[in-house]
Amino acid sequence: MFFGQTPRGKHFERNALPHLPAVYRTARQLVGVESADDLVQETFLRAWKYFETFDPTTNCRAWLFRILRNVWISRWRKSRLELPLVDTGDEQIEPYYDWEGEFLREELSAGVERALSELPADYRLAILLADVEDCTYEEIARIMECPIGTVMSRLNRGRRMLARLMQVYRDAKPSKSQPREFARRKP
Amino acid sequence: MMDCKNLREILDLYVDGELSPEATVQAEAHLTECNACRRAADGLQGLRQAVKAAVSQYQPAPQLANRVRKSTLSPWYRRPTWALAVAAAALLIVTLAVSAPQFRGAVANSLEAAAFHLDDSRAVVMEGLLLCRDCELKKEYGYRAMCPLKGHHGTLQTKDGKIWNILDGDASEDLIHNSALLGRTVRIHGRCFRRASSIEVDSYEVL
Repeated sequence: MFFGQTPRGKHFERNALPHLPAVYRTARQLVGVESADDLVQETFLRAWKYFETFDPTTNCRAWLFRILRNVWISRWRKSRLELPLVDTGDEQIEPYYDWEGEFLREELSAGVERALSELPADYRLAILLADVEDCTYEEIARIMECPIGTVMSRLNRGRRMLARLMQVYRDAKPSKSQPREFARRKP
Repeated sequence: MMDCKNLREILDLYVDGELSPEATVQAEAHLTECNACRRAADGLQGLRQAVKAAVSQYQPAPQLANRVRKSTLSPWYRRPTWALAVAAAALLIVTLAVSAPQFRGAVANSLEAAAFHLDDSRAVVMEGLLLCRDCELKKEYGYRAMCPLKGHHGTLQTKDGKIWNILDGDASEDLIHNSALLGRTVRIHGRCFRRASSIEVDSYEVL
């Protein structure tokens, strides 16, 4: 609590700041542990600057994620080279992935972070918002500024890519893979 | 009735809870009958949980929350960036004032102008040394003083080094024209016109 806090400040503290952990864990998966704090701080600075534009009847967390994505794109992502995604909707759905395969009966936590870091960024963000933050497809579409069909396509392809990567890592190191920090891909 | 092909197409929507209630009922009906699809749903659900567990283990450091609070909720003048900016600006002004004569003059004039507004044409008591104006200007700036021909012209120098014109009047006659008073310390009661650096004398005393 700060001396002389305005009603706007109180409103911001009550509605926006409680989502700092969620913004942080997503930021960490987007830019790595070294830059996560800076991305979070810049996200909240921008949120504070434009807080008047936030509609209190809507979801503040989704609003913050949208700002996070914009800051990330404008300040971090443009400095990295990435292959463009092909977002053409339903034809990208891959229904026949073998989810009941052998590897899914093994310990799943190992290698998740490394595999996540290898995903194309838009797939990674869609998965983080759906699986970690339990956002609805509609919220993800608003946050990522794309149609719901594109969200479905990114989740579908991203999860299957993630599962394949995890399997590759597990096959390469069947019993010794440990969770650890992995460097982001370099341009 | 939903078959395996239909279910695999909507598997993500099912585990994400995005299906309509009717479609959910149909999907669950299929899952109770089909072990392969049940394992597929469990596998995808397992992946979701693994992602959530791996990512949720990280919490922001308490210092980050403090940083964010300070940079947003605290008044602007308490924010480190503002404090640094103000300090840097002050340092720049001082540096320029000390190093650049033109800037120093501009600052002095600004201060003087501010002083005019704060203290304009008020009754004052001023104390200082009575000196010859033209001789001082000669000494300071090389002005060609005509004192040997026309006599000295008394003026008041206050302790800050500033020279004040003494305006002509009955009470100031001696202060201006009596050379015997030069070099004496006097206290003048009167009115001060800062913009004109002049004093109107009501009375004075030689100290």
